[in-house]
Amino acid sequence: MASLSPPEEAAASYHRRHSKRYPSNGVESVSEFAKRPKIISPPPKPSNFISSSEIESEFSHHDPDFARINNGSFGCCPSSVLALQRDWQLRFLRQPDRFYFDELKPKISESRAVIKRLINAEHDDEVSIVDNATTAAAIVLQQTAWAFREGRFDKGDAVVMLHYAYGSVKKSVEAYVTRSGGQVIEVQLPFPVISADEIVTRFRNGLASGKANGRRVRLALIDHVTSMPSVVIPIKELVKICREEGVDQVFVDAAHGIGCVDVDMKDIGADFYTSNLHKWFFAPPSVAFLYCRKSNNGGGGGAAADLHHPVVSNEYGNGLAVESSWVGTRDYSAQLVVPSILEFVNRFEGGIDGIKKRNHECVIEMGRMLVKSWGTQLGCPTEMCASMVMVGLPVCLGVASDSDVVKLRTLLRERFSIEIPIYFRPPEEGEIDPIAGYVRISFQVYNKAEDYHRLRDAVNQLVREGFKCMSLSS
Amino acid sequence: MASLSPPEEAAASYHRRHSKRYPSNGVESVSEFAKRPKIISPPPKPSNFISSSEIESEFSHHDPDFARINNGSFGCCPSSILALQRDWQLRFLRQPDRFYFDELKPKISESRAVIKRLINAEHDDEVSIVDNATTAAAIVLQQTGWAFREGRFDKGDAVVMLHYAYGSVKKSVEAYVTRSGGQVIEVQLPFPVISADEIVTRFRNGLASGKANGRRVRLALIDHVTSMPSVVIPIKELVKICREEGVDQVFVDAAHGIGCVDVDMKDIGADFYTSNLHKWFFAPPSVAFLYCRKSNNGGGGAADLHHPVVSNEYGNGLAVESSWVGTRDYSAQLVVPSILEFVNRFEGGIDGIKKRNHECVIEMGRMLVKSWGTQLGCPTEMCASMVMVGLPVCLGVASDSDVVKLRTLLRERFSIEIPTYFRPPEEGEIDPIAGYVRISFQVYNKAEDYHRLRDAVNQLVREGFKCMSLSS
Repeated sequence: MASLSPPEEAAASYHRRHSKRYPSNGVESVSEFAKRPKIISPPPKPSNFISSSEIESEFSHHDPDFARINNGSFGCCPSSVLALQRDWQLRFLRQPDRFYFDELKPKISESRAVIKRLINAEHDDEVSIVDNATTAAAIVLQQTAWAFREGRFDKGDAVVMLHYAYGSVKKSVEAYVTRSGGQVIEVQLPFPVISADEIVTRFRNGLASGKANGRRVRLALIDHVTSMPSVVIPIKELVKICREEGVDQVFVDAAHGIGCVDVDMKDIGADFYTSNLHKWFFAPPSVAFLYCRKSNNGGGGGAAADLHHPVVSNEYGNGLAVESSWVGTRDYSAQLVVPSILEFVNRFEGGIDGIKKRNHECVIEMGRMLVKSWGTQLGCPTEMCASMVMVGLPVCLGVASDSDVVKLRTLLRERFSIEIPIYFRPPEEGEIDPIAGYVRISFQVYNKAEDYHRLRDAVNQLVREGFKCMSLSS
Repeated sequence: MASLSPPEEAAASYHRRHSKRYPSNGVESVSEFAKRPKIISPPPKPSNFISSSEIESEFSHHDPDFARINNGSFGCCPSSILALQRDWQLRFLRQPDRFYFDELKPKISESRAVIKRLINAEHDDEVSIVDNATTAAAIVLQQTGWAFREGRFDKGDAVVMLHYAYGSVKKSVEAYVTRSGGQVIEVQLPFPVISADEIVTRFRNGLASGKANGRRVRLALIDHVTSMPSVVIPIKELVKICREEGVDQVFVDAAHGIGCVDVDMKDIGADFYTSNLHKWFFAPPSVAFLYCRKSNNGGGGAADLHHPVVSNEYGNGLAVESSWVGTRDYSAQLVVPSILEFVNRFEGGIDGIKKRNHECVIEMGRMLVKSWGTQLGCPTEMCASMVMVGLPVCLGVASDSDVVKLRTLLRERFSIEIPTYFRPPEEGEIDPIAGYVRISFQVYNKAEDYHRLRDAVNQLVREGFKCMSLSS
């Protein structure tokens, strides 16, 4: 296997670029952003941590022209992990039969063991590796559909989900739950969010609806971090409420999970939990895990033993983890490279927890910088953000619809080489000149302050030009 | 994008190695095997066809120690295609949002259009790209499962399949059809096979069983080329019989399809047809297509097919649903048009390759049969690029675990990769051949691969080897 190979650039370029880059190795460097503008001499760097120039080299395959402020959508993967992934691909291609018979399963088990430790699961059996959270959702919801179809759940029993659930997951609920006779209840959440209490209250009400007229709530599907608009949901509290209210199963969709928020299975207490590894854990596209608690809560036949991968192979019936480890001839290299990713993150001070912490501090810092410049606001309290935050756009831009934000996003991409997702927040009755457009900024280790300065300046330029969204052609 | 780049080696190495290699460029070279051993001067090589040394270079990433006689299981992918695949991967990684918004869908549509032309489908809409035939089977069978569950099919209505259907497909039938109340009928096929008529007769009987007691046969699931034991099934005739007998839907599982047999959708006439591209069409792992006939025969309808991994494209038709199943590496799907360029470097393109593979695998099969004193598992016209060759009876193959252990022995002791099949003896047979190897032939194979197999087995025979001596 190729080993991680730091580039030849060394301290010289590090010092040269330091004032424009977020350094990787220490909390105290955050002060650079707080007391700006000021060039601080870097603290003595422990030589075993990854350097800024090494980070730059690891992500040198990113388009250098772009301010890439959207790690949340597609994640990122460092070159050294990509190289190791290629090694796995070539290993299979070299002698596929031998690889299949001798190496594939043990190596996937190793990846599962690494994930199990990372997420504090009880048993390796609880960890299945799948392509992405979308696949995990299909697995859990297909099980729910069978339960309705086979009469273990009654027609009209409810599945409760958040209104801000991801679009693909909503479709999956339609395809599996609605189609087999389940009732779907969407809990409306406020946005902007003032406090976690608002979310808790509305969720309780949603559960109460689900239980009206003697029905049961068979599944609660809750995002750990919603996608658009992005907010960290008080997941532990909601899981507890579900238990109190007799919900059969709780499924947490943490597409933004590992590497973004704290992911501790025993602490969170859900029945099912899925998270992508390619968004915030530096895996190549794509790989995710689906955790299924062994001592499964609740009746209704929704036991973890009834979960199956929808792509059925000869491993059918051997448990979801084993079924998922063989879904026909595929490229499993993204799954096989997982142990190596742990080595990569541990080159950073504090490992993945250190990265999470610094990402959070920087994204808040950058968010506040933008708010101050644009005269707007963040979409939620900072304690309800992880490594992403919603930042209001100036009202004068005239955002007034979903298509406005799509076109504005395209404009930022094509004219300013800025990649940033934008959200349309419909005005509510009685509001006067509310902020209707929000950008979702992400911060990951490859980001630099200048990325956000470019965004700040681009929007300010549009404001100066008197730009209005309605002027954009369809 | 990197362009296909032939290596620096040229005619010199070609001539040096020619006598030991199957050349790529002409039917007449087959005669080299027929009248062996003889070194024939190569015919004048049209300079635009791929050379033997170029082929060797394209597959230089294969383990050189191994006689790789099992293209059927995992296929192969030339280095130039792998390089183009990496280009696609890097293109996405470089700026994934822009790639997703601007390039992904149009490029997948291009791949679908290439496949549509290759398989003689009517519309691009009929072609969906999925990971592999296993996924395609899940898509079709899930639809069947819903139809039972939602009362469009009656409990006890039948799905008819071949006993030699692929293991994963059988499990899929259990998971979706049996579970939702359908009855499954497995048609037993003879092996060894004497003629296609035997298969047709047994299939008719299988359909008749399915229709007994006023039931309907809702789905016939037929392999185009069975996996183990490998035989080309007379698919056109079986589809016709299905139509005559009022079968709702016919689903052809051609995991070994494109690049192995003739794949012509209008000619075959099935409702659903799936084939892997990574087995015999040089795609990277992994990519397959699922064809769904637009003017669909019978109930259910192609409109009711959905990819089980539901995304925001749900309801936009299977082809569009399959083009986005969440964040994934779609590079194997995107590289399909480039594969066509690769195969067209061979004389006759994919048809030329198929033809020569067939002629060579039969040639090698006969060579082995002659040396071992055994037989082929079916008539040569019922083979494509794979053939079952009987192992000497004296090796004492007597169970499934025997052939597994024998396969491992061949791999570990002789560096030969070959799948083996246990054919249980039938009543009344005396000393039947109970073990078969399935040999494949693909463009990277050489006569010496099969000579090594021949010699290894002969050595085991000389040593008085018996399968029962292998530890568990």
